[in-house]
Amino acid sequence: MPILSFSLNLDGVIRIHNAVQCLAKFSDTVSLEARSDRLTMSTLNSSKSAYASFALDSSTYFETYRYNDARLSDQSQEGPSRFTCQLYNKALSSVFKGRLGDMREKETAAERCEVAIQDDIDNTECRIVVKMICKHGVTKTYKLNYESTEIKHALFDRNSAKNKWRIDASVLRSFLEYFGTATEQLDMYAEDGRIAFTSYTEKVMHGREILKHPLETSVALDTLDFEEFSVEEKMHVAFSVKDFRAIVLHAETLKTNVQAYYSLPTKPIQLTYNENGVNCEFTLMTIGDYPGSSTKPAPISVRGSSATPTGGRPSRQASLQPTQSNTIRGVEEKQREAMPPPSQPASRSFPRAPQSQSGPGSFRPESLSQRTSRPSPPPPKASLDPESLFLPAEDDDRQWDETNYEDEEDILGWDASGNHKASALQKLQTAPEEASRYESLPAWPEDSDRRIAPTQRLAEIETLFSQG
Amino acid sequence: MDSVHHDANPLFTAVSGPVRHLFQLLRCIAFATKAQVRITPEGIRFTVEESRVVQGVAFLEKSLFTSYNYAPPTSSQTDDTAVFQISLAALLETLQILLVNEIKDRWASRDPAYGGMMGALGRGGRPAAFGNRVLGMPGVCRLSYAAKGEPLCVVLEEGGVTTSCEMVTYEPEDQEEIPFQRDALTLKIIMRSTWLHDAVNELSSTSPSRLTMAASPSAPYLVLSSKGPLGSAAVEFSKDQQLLETFQVPKRTVNTYKYSLIKAATRAMSLASKVCIRGDEQGVLSLQFMIEVEDVGVHFIDFRFVPFLPEEGEDDLESDDEMS
Repeated sequence: MPILSFSLNLDGVIRIHNAVQCLAKFSDTVSLEARSDRLTMSTLNSSKSAYASFALDSSTYFETYRYNDARLSDQSQEGPSRFTCQLYNKALSSVFKGRLGDMREKETAAERCEVAIQDDIDNTECRIVVKMICKHGVTKTYKLNYESTEIKHALFDRNSAKNKWRIDASVLRSFLEYFGTATEQLDMYAEDGRIAFTSYTEKVMHGREILKHPLETSVALDTLDFEEFSVEEKMHVAFSVKDFRAIVLHAETLKTNVQAYYSLPTKPIQLTYNENGVNCEFTLMTIGDYPGSSTKPAPISVRGSSATPTGGRPSRQASLQPTQSNTIRGVEEKQREAMPPPSQPASRSFPRAPQSQSGPGSFRPESLSQRTSRPSPPPPKASLDPESLFLPAEDDDRQWDETNYEDEEDILGWDASGNHKASALQKLQTAPEEASRYESLPAWPEDSDRRIAPTQRLAEIETLFSQG
Repeated sequence: MDSVHHDANPLFTAVSGPVRHLFQLLRCIAFATKAQVRITPEGIRFTVEESRVVQGVAFLEKSLFTSYNYAPPTSSQTDDTAVFQISLAALLETLQILLVNEIKDRWASRDPAYGGMMGALGRGGRPAAFGNRVLGMPGVCRLSYAAKGEPLCVVLEEGGVTTSCEMVTYEPEDQEEIPFQRDALTLKIIMRSTWLHDAVNELSSTSPSRLTMAASPSAPYLVLSSKGPLGSAAVEFSKDQQLLETFQVPKRTVNTYKYSLIKAATRAMSLASKVCIRGDEQGVLSLQFMIEVEDVGVHFIDFRFVPFLPEEGEDDLESDDEMS
């Protein structure tokens, strides 16, 4: 008995395709969450700075929808029953293709789609089974592998978001093309009945070489163009252009109004729209600074965090420490450019700092308010920055070594915990119990609390030599 | 170019009709760089093979040419005087010189009936008012092969511009055809090629290495399936008359082929109108594509595939349902 089964008509298939395509621009995995009243497809990007979700309403979106949780007895204490899993976006997008191509494709296009999720402890093969039923009795059956996992949703408190606007997606779409493809951030700034959307890239220098040319495009809209507009003036809020573009392109396919909610820079912004049983929500992290001239005083913590003294557009150059070597700075700068600052600074705790505040970060933007101040781009700690391409030399050599299979198991465990930010860095980290396993072996004498174990056991080295 | 023309009668000369017919047919089998060419009195046969497990054959019939002269020396009784190898990629590139202009003519005509390259093989729309085709000067391609060991000359003429190319010919290889027992067929299915094309494309979603074809006299009649790291996919065909024109499967057969090789035939699949799928007792798969060429009639492109040896327990994918 499948835990979830539903069927769709062609239109539903195409709209799922559009949603999956949009999700692909955020991350290469998709999380599914099925409940009795809705099916949610969501994703969190790898820097945990953007979250996208599409909730399909069970009664209006689907032709039939049956959620049947046989495991209900085990989970009844955990609130409403739900089924969660994660799979590759590529798998979904190859199944839910846009089947509206030319005439040749039309002939072979699907007419109906039936999906069943088989998930049962006694079942040897748990799969998402998608059946596309086409003309002349052609049936295409896909069985997709998935990973059963807990999924993370971004939390967003609309009550605390004082600024909101709503506008037709086609208006946003029409000025999207003015934003250069090389630009990275989109800044919103409202003043005197107009709101300016400015896409920009900052100049990146590496020595004398210019890695990125500065570029800025500004589009100003009259606030009368908005269906609803209530935004605090003279405040810069910036987020990723790429994410914004993905959202607007999708919103336009639904021909609907996009609603934005936000409060302050460095707090998340939510863009949302609703159409025909699809509820789309995007939560993006913002950067920017709060003007001193504003009538409303900013919370101390946030104000302190906006390090830029000029009150202009957030400038990351200002926060760079001049003591660092040029090499590192170039890389640092580039990486920061590529994404808005993550919701938690250095979210992956580095072993040297055992007092570090949190483990692999869950995306809970509202928790920011409890946290103490943080510069909107965190000041780079060049020698230790886990994001840096250039890792400290003593850490470096371990990742090139042969895989130690005992360690490997630990790493896999981390992945399953939903932290799919598997980077080389995680291999460098040493779990405490693992470190103790090696305690008898010599550690780095000058830096014993870092606890990087030797890369290989002596026993293994001996066998290597004896074979040679 | 005159330097290569011998005073004696060349072994073979031909003047083509519209070049794009040659181009389209040859492109269908362009999955490897070299092709073996055999010139016969009835036409030119191009054979391309890879690893001896897949073979594609395009036969350019005499009817594709406006003039066709093959004069085998009467003295030699063997038939291998006009057999050689040639770089197919280079030949296609050469033919494309003429095609480029043709496509330009198309665009000039701004006929919405042309959906880009889709129109390349038919529905011939109206050409530009002073296009070369209207003025009676379509691009012409002359082929000549003087004698064994000589290069193959391709001379393209269009609107007073002559381009001549000499293509090195290579020693022929001893090419054995993939044996196919026509008298021991286990399946014969004729269907619209679009459906096969769609099914093969559909399976690519799993990035498979193998494609399994199962045919059986009872439902499910014809199933193409594949498995990959992301999951499995299967396309099942019913026995609808609209779908499978001919369906002769006396008993259930399951064979597995290398997916990337089947992929080599996709260009032919997309171009053809019909496909005849045949399998023999040893599992060798023959795909015969019928390609309609405007004003000339139908042409056939043949593919043959050698199957994987059947392994224990890999019988079929669709029986997974019963197992689970």
